[in-house]
Parts: sequence; structure tokens; C-alpha cells
Amino acid sequence: MTIMAKSKPTILNTLIPYVAAILIALAAVGVFIALMGFDVLKAYYTILFTSFRTPNGFIQTLLKFIPLVLQAYAFTVPLAAGKFNIGGEGQLIVGAIGAAAVGILLPDLPPLLLIPLVLLGGIVAGALWGFIPGWLLYKFNINEILTTVLLNFVSFALINYVATGPWRDPAAGHPTTIPIGRGGYLPLLVDNPPLHAGIIIALLVAVAVYFYTTRSTAGYELVATGANPRAAGVFGINVKYMFVLSIVIAGGIGGLSGAIEVSGVQHRLIEGLQHNFLVLGLIIGLIAKGNNMAVPFVAFFIAVLEVGASAMQRTLMIPVEMVFIVEALVLLFVLLSDVVRRK
Amino acid sequence: MADTPILVMKGIRKTFDKSVALDDVSFELNAREIHGLLGGNGAGKTTLMNILYGLYKKDSGEISLHEKKINISSPRDALHKHIGMVHQHFLQITSFTVLENIVLGTEIHNKYSMDLSVEATKIQALQNRFNLAVDLNISIGDLPMGTRQKVEILKALYRGAEILILDEPTTNLTPQEVDDLFKSLRVMVDQDLSIVFITHKLREVLSVCDRISVLRNGRNVVTLKRDEANEEAFVRGMVGDEMDIQNSVIFSRGKSGQIGAEHIRAEVCLHLDQVQLASQGSVPRLKDISFKLRHGEILGIAGVAGNGQRDLAEVILGITLPTGGKVELDAKDILAMPTNQRLESGIAYIPEDRLLDGFLPKASVAHNLILGFHRKAPYSSGGFINWNTVHRTAAELIKTYNIKTSGPSDVGGNLSGGNIQRVLIARAFSKPANLLVAHNPTRGLDIPSMDFVYSRILEEKKKGLATLLISEDLDELLLLCDRIAVLYRGELVGTLDRSKFEKYEIGRMMSGYRAEE
Amino acid sequence: MTGIETPLILYAKLILLTMVPFVLASQGTMLGGRTGVFNVAQEGIMLVSASIGFLVSFYSKSLTIGVISAMLVGGLFGLALAYFTTHLKMDQFVIGLALFFIGVGLSTLLPKLMIGVTLTPPLIPTLKDIPIPLLSKIPFIGEIFFNQNILVYGAVLVSVFLWWFLYKTSFGLSLRSTGEYPQAADSLGISVTTMRYLTAIVGGALIGIAGVYLPMVYTGTFTDGMVKGRGWLAIALTFFGGWKPINILIGSLFFAGIEVLSYKVQVSGSGIPYQFLLMLPYLATILVMVFTFKRSTIPGFLGQNYDREKRSL
Repeated sequence: MTIMAKSKPTILNTLIPYVAAILIALAAVGVFIALMGFDVLKAYYTILFTSFRTPNGFIQTLLKFIPLVLQAYAFTVPLAAGKFNIGGEGQLIVGAIGAAAVGILLPDLPPLLLIPLVLLGGIVAGALWGFIPGWLLYKFNINEILTTVLLNFVSFALINYVATGPWRDPAAGHPTTIPIGRGGYLPLLVDNPPLHAGIIIALLVAVAVYFYTTRSTAGYELVATGANPRAAGVFGINVKYMFVLSIVIAGGIGGLSGAIEVSGVQHRLIEGLQHNFLVLGLIIGLIAKGNNMAVPFVAFFIAVLEVGASAMQRTLMIPVEMVFIVEALVLLFVLLSDVVRRK
Repeated sequence: MADTPILVMKGIRKTFDKSVALDDVSFELNAREIHGLLGGNGAGKTTLMNILYGLYKKDSGEISLHEKKINISSPRDALHKHIGMVHQHFLQITSFTVLENIVLGTEIHNKYSMDLSVEATKIQALQNRFNLAVDLNISIGDLPMGTRQKVEILKALYRGAEILILDEPTTNLTPQEVDDLFKSLRVMVDQDLSIVFITHKLREVLSVCDRISVLRNGRNVVTLKRDEANEEAFVRGMVGDEMDIQNSVIFSRGKSGQIGAEHIRAEVCLHLDQVQLASQGSVPRLKDISFKLRHGEILGIAGVAGNGQRDLAEVILGITLPTGGKVELDAKDILAMPTNQRLESGIAYIPEDRLLDGFLPKASVAHNLILGFHRKAPYSSGGFINWNTVHRTAAELIKTYNIKTSGPSDVGGNLSGGNIQRVLIARAFSKPANLLVAHNPTRGLDIPSMDFVYSRILEEKKKGLATLLISEDLDELLLLCDRIAVLYRGELVGTLDRSKFEKYEIGRMMSGYRAEE
Repeated sequence: MTGIETPLILYAKLILLTMVPFVLASQGTMLGGRTGVFNVAQEGIMLVSASIGFLVSFYSKSLTIGVISAMLVGGLFGLALAYFTTHLKMDQFVIGLALFFIGVGLSTLLPKLMIGVTLTPPLIPTLKDIPIPLLSKIPFIGEIFFNQNILVYGAVLVSVFLWWFLYKTSFGLSLRSTGEYPQAADSLGISVTTMRYLTAIVGGALIGIAGVYLPMVYTGTFTDGMVKGRGWLAIALTFFGGWKPINILIGSLFFAGIEVLSYKVQVSGSGIPYQFLLMLPYLATILVMVFTFKRSTIPGFLGQNYDREKRSL
């Protein structure tokens, strides 16, 4: 997969295949929806415009955008180095555990201290979780794809253990911990409907990732490593270190996404708080073809679809998974457009 | 009627994307002849024969065999028409035995038990007939290159080839093995085969071929019988009108024997002392390598591919750490120095396998041109890449080194092999260096580009550059080097001064015989 | 029989029973890989095959038709993988991920559309043990090896068949050559494309059966995410077995053994928090990779597409 942009495409030329892919995917699924006896137009109207009709819809979309864009970066940053991190989910969960642990253990700190500490707890925990596959890759040359995936399953058991352990909230039916200290709650930018400050953090991460990968010398080494690790190594880049670094950074970003879920949304640790963010993050990263500039835009688009999907399930009784199929097909058709262009 | 062609290719045209590889090319092969197909890299020789063998689809043109028009759309068709081809890079499966490689894809007598005794008997008959002895039950990856080539030829003969195409068959052979190959080719022709012999070496076609066709830039230039051959005409045919043959390194400097010994200085640039590189197996990868390379000197390392050349280069660059011995650069021990610092302190490197070791196909041409220099000014400052400077420098290098690309931000993967090699060379010469380690630096280049590389190396030699030229092309070494050392199974078996250069002596050393002191 | 032997027999029998999805998914992966097609969609293919196989069995009241439909679904995903990578030359890993997504999505979508949300899960009968006449009467061994469901026998037979097919037939030799060095195979008139389609489809079908095994033997119903990483573990097992059929069969005993152990300790009340036992299969697999990955031989062109006209640079 080509990480670098091709020689100066115009914006229009770049967008056409995306628009075409979306239309074809919608049409394909539309036929299916119609065959199932649902109202296609109403369904698509709900999917596409729920985010823009009401302030609530828009803020829901932004809230969805935050974990999705971070999960996508947890995938694309190692991808620049040619490594596939499929462990964003585990990194999110362990990050959430780290964040919740800080918030529960230090409940009385003021927000000025506790918020950064909670976020840091998530970042560090996620980065450590990412360091495991990184170290296995460094030391034993073990393929990172399998280790990152398998560690997701380990993290499922881990969050269940923590959420049913000593911090368990006895009042909750579902595995849940007691809340973190009030000082650890992310401040709200908008009160009603509530929008927390995680959106600013997500955008800062986007800017940082962009500068890191395209402008910095370290980012050059990351890209060179991904372009051909063997040649990069021959010309003096420590590629194994770059591999580990990229997965650790990804783990940190993944952990941050977990910390924001705890500190901004749930205010406690809840089993299942990762939803399907990993898979959506992968889809976003792949639709963006690894281009970090494109990631936020694609992530916003997927957030729109996701918010629309929930509304569609509520009002039209069409399962949300229908939209997931649309998203997977968009990915497939975007990839196909490359083939068409090659011919 | 000995001169009636059995095979005729007419008006062949082939394009890859937008570049024209073959334009209206014709070719005729007579029965029982060895027909040389001569030309520099990129002339289209291999492309033409790949079309005949069914690997490439032609855009237009006709092929007829025994005066009947034929259509070849896959190697299966070609094999069916008794056309066989031996590729430059052997198409062999290293984990299979020799026998399995030979019978692969053919009808097998005991196909549900894989008892191959019937086939082995048939192959042994062929081996006796054409004098191609190889142990059939050995894993092919364990065999030396010369033997593997015999297997390639056996593969074609086993399939009943009557027309045999050999693509640069001498690449990995010692001069002695080349002579043996030529003898076998004569035996084959005597037994009614017809042979197409692809090469870029004029000397070879003159010594073995009955007729010679020259290609240049995807076009026919001339076809002549050997008796009518005029060396001058072939040279001009290969290089075209633009190249100044009189002042070229390849065609004039070599002959005069003068290569600038007067530029060799007293100071030693690179000193290897008793360098060892142990391997997991029993045979060490490098053993007791010692030599001194002076400023202004070109030291050649000859040897058949796979005898430790790459390890030697990588030990000097610090990519592989030796298990014993000393490596000194300008009298300073550099063993502890990481690769990036060695590059920064003036070692330029052109690796052997340009795609694997030297190039970033997924990054831009600009990315590629600064690889290894990217941490230092002017390309980088304060932890950030100075892309304006990088692009300006890249544009200059593209121009100077005649790299065909749409610009510095073009994706590397869009470049052709020859242009990728130019990127590697441009990068190596883009910064002042004390030592150049060049491994097969001209592989894949056409003759004018080869000559350009040679003249650049000689220019820098005058300024005091020490060059370690590792090459599997003996002619290249004989042309440029002040001294040639021969590497065999990780050991230097001897070193010859320019005055003592003798091809067969070096050939003997390449097969492991020590130099007669 | 004495009191100690009975639980041992049950353990051994349970390991063979648990081995089946690993064996089938892993042999399917191996088969594709031997021609160069590296399938990474196992998890998704197993889920969608389990889902559809379950639904078809539920409505047709026939487990046989359910297994066949799961094979077809798996084969269809294999076909898609082959088409996108062999025909359109798209990145194998990325396409594998996309197919994984589609598999996961369809696996939850289809039961929702067909059955909807119910209080009690709809059930299908599970596969019955079929004792082999005479052999099943042998003490100890009979009960372990010859009184199992049909897919246990099938998994072993498939493994042995694949060994014979790959190593003892000329077709197998040709097939393996396409994964080791497609240029070489192509230059000898062997169709790389045909081989890749064939193995991707058959391999996908095997993975499909591995998927439908779960509702048909373990639960009698389909639940979201019920494959629980077995698809990914199968990839690890394939490497563990060095991409060789018999080694995979042996390796699957180890994977199944860990799964049974994890389950048995959980119910034994050992005092170890059960969450740590749930982690066991994944942690054990990672540990196994540490010790075996370096030595694992893999097909030379695994995961790489072949383009005849692409000029070597």
C-alpha cells in the first residue's frame, strides 16, 4: 500500500473515487434494504442527515468522532512504518483501566492535577500494552499482527477482572467500577447537549501526528522504514527501534482514546466501553489509505454514518449492522478505485 | 538449404504502460545455429525473447515457426512448440530437489506416489548425451551457480526443446565455466538444436555465435554473420551515434591499460585486519579477510555471486558486525561506529540488490535521494526535514544524473530499473566521500550510463577517493581496478596487481585455487 | 475401568473434539498459503459461516445442509479473496481485513434480520457421536478416537489427505511450486492463477466448516463473536505447524489442550480468578510463537501477488 501521496493530484481527482465508492456501496446495500421490505429513502435520509438536523445529532457525531479518529491513528502511525497494529481495542481497554485506576486511587485531587493524570494514566497504560507486541517483535521477530490481535482478547478478560474486583460498583448489574474522582471529569465545552473537551485533544493529536510523520526527521525515518525496511537499515536507520516506537506511540494514542472514554463519557470503567471502535478505526485508516491528513475527514464521515445508523435502528427498526456493511463496502470500493485507475 | 530460417519474428511491438520497449523488431533464427542477440541493458533483448517464450504478450507483430504462423500466449504454448528458455535469474525452487525442479509441471509416470525413477532414468540419458552431470537428489539451493545453470538447461532439454533461448547465461560463471558452456552449446547445435544467445558482451558473441543481431532502444540495428563481423560496427550498433567512443572509458581507456596508477596515495583509507564473520552453520561467512585500500586506489573484489561479497560490504558499512578482526577507516577504528555515523564520516555505498537494499519504492524520489544523509544539514535542522532544500537538491541530481522521472515527489516505484540504479549512484556521489563501496554498480545500466559511472569513479579517484569495487562482472574489474582480490567462500584466495591481470588465472581463483605467488 | 481412567478418557476425548475448528481453519489457511494466498479473514469467515450455517440448519432442520451452506459461504469468501488478489492484484492483507469486516458484520446482521431478538435463543440439535463399529469397543482408545462426531473424523482425514495430496502427487508438487516461486511455476506452464483460485476457495470452505462447528457442537445456537479469536489462533497454529498438514494436526492438539485446560480449571474451583484462565489460550499462543516462529518455514511467496508482465526492476 502506498503511503505517500502520488504526484500532486487535484482535490477533485482525489474525491471522485471516494464519492463514487460511497454511492455504489449505498446503492448495493439499498437494494438489499428494499428487498427486506424497508423504506430505502427514509433509511438513507436518516443515516446521512441525523448528524446535521439537530444540535444534539451534531454533538453525538463529534462524540463518536473522538474515539474513532484516535483508533484510526493507532492504526495508521505504525502503518507508516509498515507495521499493522490491530490491537487498538486492547490498547483502548488497558488505557481505560489505567485512567480509571488513577481516577479511583486519587479521587480528591483538583481537576487541574487529576485530569492530566487520568489522561496520562491512560496513555502510559496503552503505551505499555503496545510495548508488549513491540518488544516481541524486537526481541523475537514475532509478527505484530497476531500478537496485537491476541492481546485484545487478553484485555477483554482483564477489564472484566478489574470491573468485577474490589472497585466493583455493587449497584450496577453490568461489570462496572465505582466512578473516578469528580476532578478527573473532562470539562464540558457545551453543556446541553454535553460535549466534553476530548474533541480538542483529538484535534491536537491529529495535528501532532501530521507534523511528526511528514515534517520531522524522525518521521522521515518512520516513512523510510515503512517504504523498505531493509534499505532503511542499510542506510543507517535503526528499523527495529522504529517498529517498536511506532507501536508504542500507537498504544499511547489508543490508551488516550480509552482515557477519554473514562474521563469524558463514562466517568467510570464499564465492560464493553470499547464498542466496535477498533474495527471502525481500521476501516477509517484503510479508507484514508494510511494518509494521516485524510484520517480526520474519513473519521468524521464514519461518525456521521454511525450516528445515523443508531437513529435508523430506533426509528425504522433496521439493524445498525446494515450501516457497518455499507462502511466495509465503501472501503472495498475505495480500494477498487485504485485498480481502476491503474488500468 | 541450411539458411532457411526455422523461426521468424516480424514487426514485434511491445509497450509497458507508456514506454515503448520494442518497436517493429524482427528476428530470424536458422536451424542449427547459435544466434547472438547483442545489446546494452534496456535494448529489449530479454523482452523480445520473453514474448517468444509466452511470458509477455506482444502488442502487435507476427511469429512463425517452420513457415507456419503461430500464436504463443503462455510458456505452456512455447514449451508445446519445443521452445525452451533459460532465464538470467534462475527460475528454480530452492527447497525442491534437482529432480523435482526438472520434472515440475510435466506428466509424471507415477503421479499418485511421486516415485520419480522413470523420470530420473530419462534425465540421466540426457545428462550423458549433452555432458551435463548433476546429482539429481540434492536440494537445488545447495548447489553452486554454475551447476544450477546446468539444471536450467536440463529442464529445457527434458521438455524436448529444439529452440533454446539463453538469457545472459555467463553472468555467474568463471571464465573456465564459460568455456565449458560454449562447448556444450556446440554439442547441442551438432545434435540439431538451435540456440538464441542473449548477452551484452561483444567478446562472447564473437567467440561462440554463428550470426549476431544487435538491438538498441527497442529497435533492430543490424544482423551479421560472424565471418562478416566488424567489431567496430557492433560497438557503434550497441551504443548509438551519440556516444563518444574514442573518449569512453569502456572502449578506449581499458585498451590502453592506463587507469591512473599515479593517483594512488600513500595514506591507507580502509584497512581490514583478520576480519571474521561466523555463521550458524559450519562454514564461516567471512574468514581472515585482510587488505589495505589506499586513497586514490580502486581495489576490485572478484568472485562468483554468493561467496561473501555482500557480507564483506556490510561489515565495512557496519550493517553486519564481524565476530573478529579490525576495521579501520583513515587509521581510526570504526568497529563501534553505527552505520549512520560511518555514512556521515565519508563512506558512500552502492548496494548490490538495488530494490531490496538500496531503494524505497513506496517513498518519493526526494526521500530516496537523501536516505542516509537525512539527519544532517542541509537536509535536516532542529529535528525537522528542510523539504525546500531537499527538493531543490533532488531536482539538481535528477538533472545531473539523467534520472527519468516526473520530479522529486514522484513515487519511487514508478521508476524503471536503470533509473533506480541512477538514483543510487546519484545519492552515493551527492556528498563528498573518502571511500566508495560499490557492489555491482552498473547492473541494469545501458552502455552510455555505465560509461558515465566509470568516468565518475575515475574522476573521484583523481581527487583521492578510495574505491572498493565488488563486482561479478570480471570485465568491469579488469577495466577499472588497480588491484583485484578474489573472494571464494568467504576467504580472499589471492590478490593480483594490474600488471599481472590474467582472466583465466582469476577464474581459477574464483573456483577456489589459491594464487601462485 | 477404574475411577481415575474415566476422567482421563473424557479429557482426551474432549481435546479431540475441541481440536476440530483449529485443524480445519488452519489447514484451510495452509492450503491457500501453499500457493501464496495468505488469508487473514479466518475470524470473519468463521463467524459468518457459523451464523449462516446455523440459520440454514435452523430453518431446514438439517445439519448436513447447514454444513454445506457454511462450506459454500467460506468458499465464496475464498473466491472473493482470490479474485481481488489474484485477478485485481490488490494487497492480500488489506483485502483479508476487509473480508474480515464484512464477515463480522454479516454474522450479526443476518440473525437479527431473520430471527430478530428473542428471549430464549433458537436452538439446533448438536452433532451426535458416531461410534465406529468394532473399533469403538477397544478399551480406552475406542472411546477417545472412535466415538466422536463426524467432523472429528473428517478433520483427521482431511489432514492426512492434504499431506498425501501435497507431497505424494504431481499435482501437489505443481501446487506447492506456485507458492514457493510463481515465476518458476509459470515459466513451466503451471497456471498460478488456477492454483490460487482453487486453494483459496477450498481453503475458505474448510474455514467455513470450522466456523459452523461451533454452533453445531458447542452451543446449539449462534451468539455474536462466538469464534472468540479462534480464527486468529488458527493463523498462529499454521505458522506453528510450519505450513505442513501433519504438523498442523499435531499442533492443534496443543491448542485444543490449552482450551480444554482453561475450561476445566475454571469449573474445578481452583481459586484462580477465571479471567486469567480465559486469557490462557491467547497468552499460551504468544508464548508458543516466541519459541517456534523463528524456526517456522513458510512458503517463499506467501502473501505476495504474482504479475507475469511486471518487469523485475
